[in-house]
Amino acid sequence: MKLTKYSVIAASAAIVFGACGGGGSASLNKNIQIAVELPFQGSEKAASDPILNGIRLAVKQAGGKVGDFTVTVPNSAVFDDALNGVHDAQTGANNMTKIVGDPNYVAVVGPLNSSVAKAEIPVSNAAGLLQCSPANTNPDLTAGAAAAALRTKPNNYIRVVTTDAVQGPAGAAYIIKELGKKSVYIIDDTETFGKGVADSFEAEFKARGGTVVKRDAAPKTTQDYVSIMTAAKALNPESIYFGGVTATGGARILLAAAQVGLGDIPFVGPDGINDGSGETKDSFLNLAAAAAKNAYSTLAGPGTFEGKDKFDADYKAEYGIDSTGYAGQGFACTQVVLDALKRAIATNPKTDAELREAVRVAGTDSTYTYSLNVGSVTFDKNGDTSQLIVSIYSVDPAGANGKGDWKYETQIDAAVK
Amino acid sequence: MTAIASPAAHPNPLARGLRMTAIAVAAVIAYLVVLWMALSLFGGRTIDAAFPEALQQTVNALSIGAIYALIALGYTMVYGIIELINFAHGDIFMLGAFLSVVFIGGITGNNEAVTNIPLLIILILGALILTMPIIGLLNAGIERAVYRPLRKAPRLAPLITAVGVSFILQNVALTIAGSGDRRAPQIFPLDWQISVGGAEISILSIFIFVLAMVLMLGLQAFVTRTRLGRAMRATAQDQEAAALMGVDANQTISLTFLIGGMLAAAAGLVWGLRFGYVRFDLGFNSGLKAFTAAVLGGIGNITGAVIGGFIIGFIENFAAALGYARWQEFLIFVILTLVLIFRPTGILGQHSGDRA
Repeated sequence: MKLTKYSVIAASAAIVFGACGGGGSASLNKNIQIAVELPFQGSEKAASDPILNGIRLAVKQAGGKVGDFTVTVPNSAVFDDALNGVHDAQTGANNMTKIVGDPNYVAVVGPLNSSVAKAEIPVSNAAGLLQCSPANTNPDLTAGAAAAALRTKPNNYIRVVTTDAVQGPAGAAYIIKELGKKSVYIIDDTETFGKGVADSFEAEFKARGGTVVKRDAAPKTTQDYVSIMTAAKALNPESIYFGGVTATGGARILLAAAQVGLGDIPFVGPDGINDGSGETKDSFLNLAAAAAKNAYSTLAGPGTFEGKDKFDADYKAEYGIDSTGYAGQGFACTQVVLDALKRAIATNPKTDAELREAVRVAGTDSTYTYSLNVGSVTFDKNGDTSQLIVSIYSVDPAGANGKGDWKYETQIDAAVK
Repeated sequence: MTAIASPAAHPNPLARGLRMTAIAVAAVIAYLVVLWMALSLFGGRTIDAAFPEALQQTVNALSIGAIYALIALGYTMVYGIIELINFAHGDIFMLGAFLSVVFIGGITGNNEAVTNIPLLIILILGALILTMPIIGLLNAGIERAVYRPLRKAPRLAPLITAVGVSFILQNVALTIAGSGDRRAPQIFPLDWQISVGGAEISILSIFIFVLAMVLMLGLQAFVTRTRLGRAMRATAQDQEAAALMGVDANQTISLTFLIGGMLAAAAGLVWGLRFGYVRFDLGFNSGLKAFTAAVLGGIGNITGAVIGGFIIGFIENFAAALGYARWQEFLIFVILTLVLIFRPTGILGQHSGDRA
C-alpha cells in the first residue's frame, strides 16, 4: 500500500513539474494579452467600466497588433477585485497571483483603488510584470519607505495619474481661490485613500490661510450620518470636503448634509466621487440626485488635452456613450503598455519570460518620453508621472437627460506655480 | 376564566406605565443636559449655542434609537420564546427597507418630497400596510420552513442555520438589487421643521419616534392584554406546560416571528425615509447594533429591548455630536461589556414579568 501511495505522489509531481517546465520558458508565444484588474461591482463598476472601455479602444486603435504580435483583451483577461460590492485588497492580490502565473499576460492595467494596489504590487513586483494604474493616487505606492517595503525587485509599477499629494491641495486651492470660501469641514472615510487625500487637502487649506472648522472621520459602516452632519452644521462651515469614494459613503454624507441645511454650500470630493453621470447606476450623482447641485470633484489627471476631442469622439463612436472619469487614463495606460511592448520586441526576446522582463524594463524606463493621448509624459524612477495636473468638475443638473452630470471647469497644474 | 382573562401581569398597569414614562422623560432630559454641557465644555461651543444643537442631537438620537428598538424587539421576542438568536433578523429589516422602496418608488417614481399631506399619509400608511404583513409572513415562513424542523435539535443547529438564512437573504437582495447603494425615495419633506428653544427640529424625526412608540405600545398591549399575547407569555415561560394547558405552541411561535418581522419592516420604511438609501448588507450592521441593544436591555425582555435600542442610539449620537464618529462602535461595545460585567442578564434582566 505504502509503495503505491508514494508512487502516485511521485507520478503526479512529475506531471506537475513537467507541465510547468513545458508551458513557460521554452517558446515565445506571439498571441499575447493585456490583463485588466479593476473592481466591477457596486458603485465602483461605474468608475471601472469607462476605464475598461478606454483600454479596449486603445488596443483596437493599434489594430490589435504590435509588430507580428497579436494583442487582445478578452473577457478572460479582465479580473474583478470587488467582494460584496466593494473593492477588496485580498481579492486583488489573489487575482494578481493568477495573472503573474499565466505567461500569456505581458502587462496588467489596474487597479482602481490604492488599498488594492498596496496588496498587489508585492506580487507583480516579485514576478517582474509591468503594471500600470489608471487611477491609483496614494503617494505611498511609489515614493518613500512605504513604497520600498512593497518591492523586492526593480520597479515594475507606473501610474498615469498624479498623486493625492497634488490632488488634495488642488481641491483646497480651488475652494479658496475660485469658490472664495475661507472655512471648511472635512470628513474622511478612514481608509488608505480617503484619509490620505483629506490629509493633504487639510495641510494645503491651512497653508493658504483657510480655517478647518473640524476634521471628522466616519468609517463606511456608519449608520447615522445625520447626527454627524448636525454637529457639522453647528460650526457653520462655508464648504465641505469629503475624503473617500462613493462606495464608502460619499452620497450618504451629502444627503445627510442637505437634510440638516448644509445643502447650499460647496461639497468637494476627490476622484472617488467622479464616477459617472446621474444616469449611471450606483454613481455618486445617481444616489445624491438633486442634493448634488453644489458638488465638485477633482480628477488626478488633465481634463482637457490636445486630442481630447478626438478621443471623446472615438469613444462615443465605439460605445455610444460619453467618456467619463478615468476612461482617458485607461487609454493612456494601454498606450504605455503597447509602446513598451514595441520596444521590448526590438530587443529580440527568445521566451515569454524574456519578453515580460523586456516589457517591464522598457515600460519603467525613466529616460523615455511617451507620447500619449493626454500629452508628452515621462515616468520617474518611482513610476510617477511628470504630469502634475488635476482637473476640477462641477455638477450640471441638466446634464445626462436631466439626471445630472459632471462638467469640466478648469485644471490646476502644480508644475507651474 | 374572567380572572385569567384580565391583564394580571401587574396589579396596576396605569401606575406602572406612568412611572416608566416619567423615568424615560427624565432620562431623555438628562441626556440633553449632559450633551449640552459636553458640547460647551469639550466641543468649543458657547453655552448658548450648545443648547439648540444638543436639543437637535437629542431628537436625532431618539429617532435612530427608535429604529434600533424596533429591530431589537424581533431579536428579543424570538429569543424569549425559543431561545434562538435569530441572526437573520437584521436581513429581514433590510428586506423591509427594500420593499418600502419598491412600493413608494413604484408609485411616486422619483425622489421628490410629497408636500400634499393626505397623499403623504396615504403613501406611508400604504407602505406600512403592504410591507409589514409581507415581511412578517416571510419571517414566519422562514421559521416554519427552517427553524421548526430543528426545534428539538441541539441548540447550535438552529443558530448556525440562522447565520445561513442571513447569508441567503443578503444574497437574494444582492442578486435582485445589485451590490451598490439603492436610492430610497425621501418622500417625507425634509424641510418641514418646527422651532423649539432656538433649534430647528425636523418633523420627520418626530414622526419616526412617534410611529415607533405607537407600534411598541401596541405590542405591549397585545402581549399583556390579549389571549394570544398571554399564550406567548405562557409559551415563553414553559413551552410544555403551556401546551398541556391547550396553547398551540407552533401557532404561538409563528405569531412571534410574524410580529417581529412586521416591526422590522416598519423600521425599514423609516430608515429609507430618513437616510435616503438602502443596500443589501444594511441588515448586518443595523442587526448587530439592534442585537446588542437586545442584550444590553436583557435579551428576552420586551421593555429591555426598547430601552437598549434607545441607549445605543444615545451612545452613537453622543460620539457623533462630539466628533468621534469613528469611535461609535468601540464605545457601544465598551458600554455593553461594562453592563454585562455588573449585570450579566442585561439592564432589566431576562426573567421579568413581561418577557415574551
